[in-house]
Amino acid sequence: MSETPDFRDLVGDDLTPEEELELARVDSLLRSVPGPATEVPGSLTQRVERIGTATPLWTRRRVVLAVALAAALAALFFGVGRGFDQGFDARASVQMAPGTSAPGASGRIQLGNRDPETGNWRIQLTVDGLPHLGGNNYYVLWLSKDGHYAGACGTFDVSGRTTVDMTASYDLSEYDYWVISEAKDNAPWLLTAETS
Amino acid sequence: MPAAMATAESDSRLIERVGRGDREAFEQLYRRFARPVFAMALRQLGDNGRAEDAAQETFAAVWRSAKSYKAERGTASAWLYAVARHAIIDRARQKRENVAEVPDEADSRAGPAERAEESWLTWRVHSALELLPERERVVIELAYWSGLSQTEIASYLDVPLGTVKTRTRTGLGRLSTLLEEVRT
Repeated sequence: MSETPDFRDLVGDDLTPEEELELARVDSLLRSVPGPATEVPGSLTQRVERIGTATPLWTRRRVVLAVALAAALAALFFGVGRGFDQGFDARASVQMAPGTSAPGASGRIQLGNRDPETGNWRIQLTVDGLPHLGGNNYYVLWLSKDGHYAGACGTFDVSGRTTVDMTASYDLSEYDYWVISEAKDNAPWLLTAETS
Repeated sequence: MPAAMATAESDSRLIERVGRGDREAFEQLYRRFARPVFAMALRQLGDNGRAEDAAQETFAAVWRSAKSYKAERGTASAWLYAVARHAIIDRARQKRENVAEVPDEADSRAGPAERAEESWLTWRVHSALELLPERERVVIELAYWSGLSQTEIASYLDVPLGTVKTRTRTGLGRLSTLLEEVRT
């Protein structure tokens, strides 16, 4: 290893005076600054790749998935579930906090036992103070991670104080918040609660 | 000259496209400025983790605020430098360390104004380097900051010595034009 090579060593000695002046100025600039970063960490690139990509909460695909999930839930609760389940044994309860878009709303999530065979958590959600939506509009309870949509738990509409049963198969420790919003793009978060 | 001007315009255009939510433009901008941003953050903050945080925040801020960029108010590089500088200052303040202005490096010879100028100069040089073709950038970085001689660089890259000299000369010529553009 040696010092930075001499200017003439770098560029040769067959330059015109104008070229020499121009290149010498750059040579001097380069010698005056520290070297560049070795490499940009791959983890930084991964983090930056996520910027701006997860903003739309409800893409068409997600809405379809949520509707499919709601249909499956309905079949579960109205078809099979009622046959053997008349009560709800809550092992944890969390109060949801209203956001600025629904200051008068309240919500409570009760978490039942996790089915040891399927891994599904049983959830009972009670909300109050949200307006009835009707038509093709509905609310959704979902989980967030790093401020973005990460998984749906079920959809519902309300009429006054409403209690609905849902299920989720997620490992809840992987998520940050329970969130209730309308199921549409960029809908404000109406009610939230930390998952732990 | 026209090539450099086109490149300088391209930076501005990229930011304008990012302002319209263009993801591809954002990725191009990242590829072009990731190294200078990360290098500056690393020099000022001193560890990889915090430098990564600051660099991520820089690009998040670019994504959020590209709409506010006005080409007539200054170069794209200067705008990005300002965004990065703010992100680095914020990161430094969060840790209650290095609370002073960001271009502070441990250098007893220079005052704050001189150090700020050094930081801007370093940014300009490294941003311009990113615009060089890879083969020219590599020989210049090896020549100026690795301590290798031209012969050693030729051996390392497995190319003839004459090729190293040609690439160095062409790269320096290109840098001269690019840095002239940045200065205006």
